[in-house]
Amino acid sequence: MNDQSQPEEFADVNEAVEDEWESETTPYERIRHVIAHAYSPVPADAVADDALTTPKTARKHLNTLAEEGFVETSPGEHGGTLYRRSPESLVVEQAADILEHVTTDELVTRVTEMRERLNEYRTEYGVDSPEELAVERTNQTLAKSGSAGQEIDPETIRDWKTLRRNLAFANAALSIGTAEQFVGEDDHSTDESIPA
Amino acid sequence: MAGPTDQPEHHSLRGAIDRPALLTIRDIVEEMEPLATARLDDYLDPAVLEVTLDDGLGEADSARIDIRWTTRGDYVFHYTDTEGVNLRWGKHPHGGEYRCVDGLEHYHPPPDASSDPDKVQDSCITQSSEALVTRAVLKLWRVAYHTDAYEPLNAGSNPP
Repeated sequence: MNDQSQPEEFADVNEAVEDEWESETTPYERIRHVIAHAYSPVPADAVADDALTTPKTARKHLNTLAEEGFVETSPGEHGGTLYRRSPESLVVEQAADILEHVTTDELVTRVTEMRERLNEYRTEYGVDSPEELAVERTNQTLAKSGSAGQEIDPETIRDWKTLRRNLAFANAALSIGTAEQFVGEDDHSTDESIPA
Repeated sequence: MAGPTDQPEHHSLRGAIDRPALLTIRDIVEEMEPLATARLDDYLDPAVLEVTLDDGLGEADSARIDIRWTTRGDYVFHYTDTEGVNLRWGKHPHGGEYRCVDGLEHYHPPPDASSDPDKVQDSCITQSSEALVTRAVLKLWRVAYHTDAYEPLNAGSNPP
């Protein structure tokens, strides 16, 4: 991109970005992009809309992505198929990114620290999960008048959920990183070095 | 549902911050905007993608856009610059408190990213995927940068 270039004229920014995206990518790339962060099951039609292509094309590429393990399918209503990003493929992708950028030593330290923080949430709020904390919060709001304990704010619930999710990615990275040290090594030489 | 006085509930992003989405947004920003560098505030447990811009609007020498994106597709893009000007595009429930806003997408105008219910406006960005929302923000920023004005940031068009 050229810093000196004048931005092009456009009547509607939403249409302009759609046109650009469409001209710079293939339907397959857009479908992969849309489904990559679709964590709840969606029909092919919805993916097609977001990916600026036809339902037929969307279905074709989604089925290929499902065969590759990138996408998971489930039966929808009226015999249709629903698609979502495969959690397994997402975890592996995030773990690979983490292993590429973070050393094993640092990963060990951080995972320990994140586990401790997760435990602190449990101790501090006396519940096991952010979902339970959300229920507590609703009860607190309904009770209103009571001065029972500290006020639970929604940011705490979000931070807890975020930490739990990111720890899951980091844990996966650590497990894969550790496992990689012990597999795939050619141990023929060891075998051969054993005296007959 | 909580009552209208319980504003924190209405004003929070739904779902966890989505690290995978932040990485995607980072790649789009770095590919498209020559003035930008983007980094996660914490590589393993990110809350924010911090985008640094090597120049700002008006007198500002530099600027920053802090981006949050959740697993539910809620988001915040908060612009702040060295002149202390703030503004923000967001998408999250607000319990109807922003009187002039129809949907979830809204815009907190400069100079202070006001949350005054009468000042928060409809956002000109109505796309929902992170690829298109990010592209839209960058496009609006480019127009604002070239005209050296804040108005284009929520005008949604770049007339001749």
